[in-house]
Amino acid sequence: MTELAIIAEDLTYAYGQLMAVDHISFDVAEGEILGFLGPNGAGKSTTVKMLTGQLLPKAGRATLLGIDVARHPKQVQAQIGVCFEVANLYETMSGIDNLELFASLFGVRDFNAEALLKRVGLDGRGKDKVSGYSKGLKQRLMVARALVNRPQILFLDEPTEGLDPTSAQAIRSLILEEQARGATIFLTTHDMHEADMLCQRVAFIDRGKIVALDTPHTLKQQYGKRTIRAEVLGDDGHLQTREIILDRQETPAEIEALFRDAEVVTIHSEEATLESIFIQLTGRELI
Amino acid sequence: MSLRRIGLLLHREFVRGPKNFMFIFAVIVPLVLSLTMLLVFGTLFAEKPRLGIADAGDSQFTHSAAATEAFTVRKYASEAELRDATAMGAVDIGVVLPSDFDESVSSGKTTTVTAYIWGGSLLKDRAALAATTATWVRQMAGQVSPVNIITTVLDGSVVLPWEDRLLPLILMMGVTFGGLMIPASSLVAEKQQHTLAALSVTPATMVDIYAAKGLVGVTISTVMTLVILGLNRTLGNSTLLLAGVLLLSAIFAAEAGVVIGTLVKDIDSLFATVKALGLLLYAPALIYVFPDIPQWIARVFPTYYIIHPVIEITQHGARLADIAGKLGVLLILILALGGLLALLTQRMRYRH
Repeated sequence: MTELAIIAEDLTYAYGQLMAVDHISFDVAEGEILGFLGPNGAGKSTTVKMLTGQLLPKAGRATLLGIDVARHPKQVQAQIGVCFEVANLYETMSGIDNLELFASLFGVRDFNAEALLKRVGLDGRGKDKVSGYSKGLKQRLMVARALVNRPQILFLDEPTEGLDPTSAQAIRSLILEEQARGATIFLTTHDMHEADMLCQRVAFIDRGKIVALDTPHTLKQQYGKRTIRAEVLGDDGHLQTREIILDRQETPAEIEALFRDAEVVTIHSEEATLESIFIQLTGRELI
Repeated sequence: MSLRRIGLLLHREFVRGPKNFMFIFAVIVPLVLSLTMLLVFGTLFAEKPRLGIADAGDSQFTHSAAATEAFTVRKYASEAELRDATAMGAVDIGVVLPSDFDESVSSGKTTTVTAYIWGGSLLKDRAALAATTATWVRQMAGQVSPVNIITTVLDGSVVLPWEDRLLPLILMMGVTFGGLMIPASSLVAEKQQHTLAALSVTPATMVDIYAAKGLVGVTISTVMTLVILGLNRTLGNSTLLLAGVLLLSAIFAAEAGVVIGTLVKDIDSLFATVKALGLLLYAPALIYVFPDIPQWIARVFPTYYIIHPVIEITQHGARLADIAGKLGVLLILILALGGLLALLTQRMRYRH
């Protein structure tokens, strides 16, 4: 039976009158990547803060690796890695010094900063001051810092937001490497495509509540519509788009009619996206 | 709390600190002010009068001279050596004591003492040396002064020299900048740069973080105040006691610094807070600058219990027993701030 790495039970947090996280419950299995998706202000970061012992829940309980976070935050924190949304590195220190400081605080012996920097694609830049790094390089260093203690659970808060494709891809590869090592990953993002690529399950959070939680495939099947999108040449000589919804009784007849009555230029099958499902569920977009 | 983690964080503070604006400010400003004051009052390059002694016996005179703090005393093996040293300006006055000097003086016999005076010595140094040596000889002979001199100080406003009046102010700057501002600004910077959040998800506790920041302040404050007093030649005879008082002062300031750093949001708020607290911090030193103001008013302010013991030791040669009461109050203040800090630490555990 798969062990649960994260258990959130009825987690609640409010900033004054504003309910940021409203009695949410979920669990994450060991070695799983859970995508926690939602627009800005949905309650993603607050949830991460409660799970990582930075915020004390107003109600509910978070258990990580079998330890109550509120009661033993330091015991939990020794076994997790957190990559924050906002860059929070010591800018006047070099990349190596940043990593070595945190490795020392975690009590890691024989720490090899160069090897870790190489893993995140920062080899050769380790001795440079962080203040001279680009946003992408800082983000890579933040991910590296979250890995100094070889964490059993890795929390990544918007790790690829605003990054160039190369940096984003490097971080995604690293996430999969960490999963292969056995780490559980809690990925907060509003990039649905990224979540679809990486996560075994995704949770949609909106206005502090989880509105859906399942595998991307199941969510698409449950909420999405499979379609065929075709471009046909119109009577006026311009391209027109036609869409046929699949999995209906009349679908075969519609497809036949399309090829019979029009000159089809291109044709593609399309699955529902997580983004369209989110909009369907919440009535708002992910930005 | 982990000493290892405190050490690691402390090391980071000291390695990175010297490039920090507040760190430079805390070290440079009190030093510059001290040196400026010494230059303004002309005491920067002034040395103590220097007395050379060539003692053929083991005179009480030599012992009395060695015991005084007012002069620099150098002993020479022979008259020739003393003469050469005086000629080169190594001493202002060189005194040659015959082997039977004490015997002659105590028996009332007339004896001859040869004195060499360096031509470049200051007149005030010569006068001070001459008057003091005459007093020592009279004491050895068991004589009472034939004249009672009644002194009247004119212009009461200068009873306390200005350099002495201003010293507590500069001392408080050393305590405030080093002890209070360095931990406070470091903590605020960690908050503003969000690095405090990064530290908070490591095994390092808030106590570790606060202790490291506070220790930097304690170290800088203690060292700087000792340097300021050393520069002003006011370390006095009880240097160890003085160092202890300065250490307690630094602890008080560092605790206040961590409390303020915890409560304020950003560096602008920190400066505004310290400005607002300025009167509370500097009032006893300012009152000391103006002796016409009733000095008891200073007792209302917490920093009086820092300044007063230091002044008592450096300017009045106070011993531990003399300042024990004031130090007791300072200890109570330290404990009270410590309690407040413990409450804040508990609160900050979940707020970054």
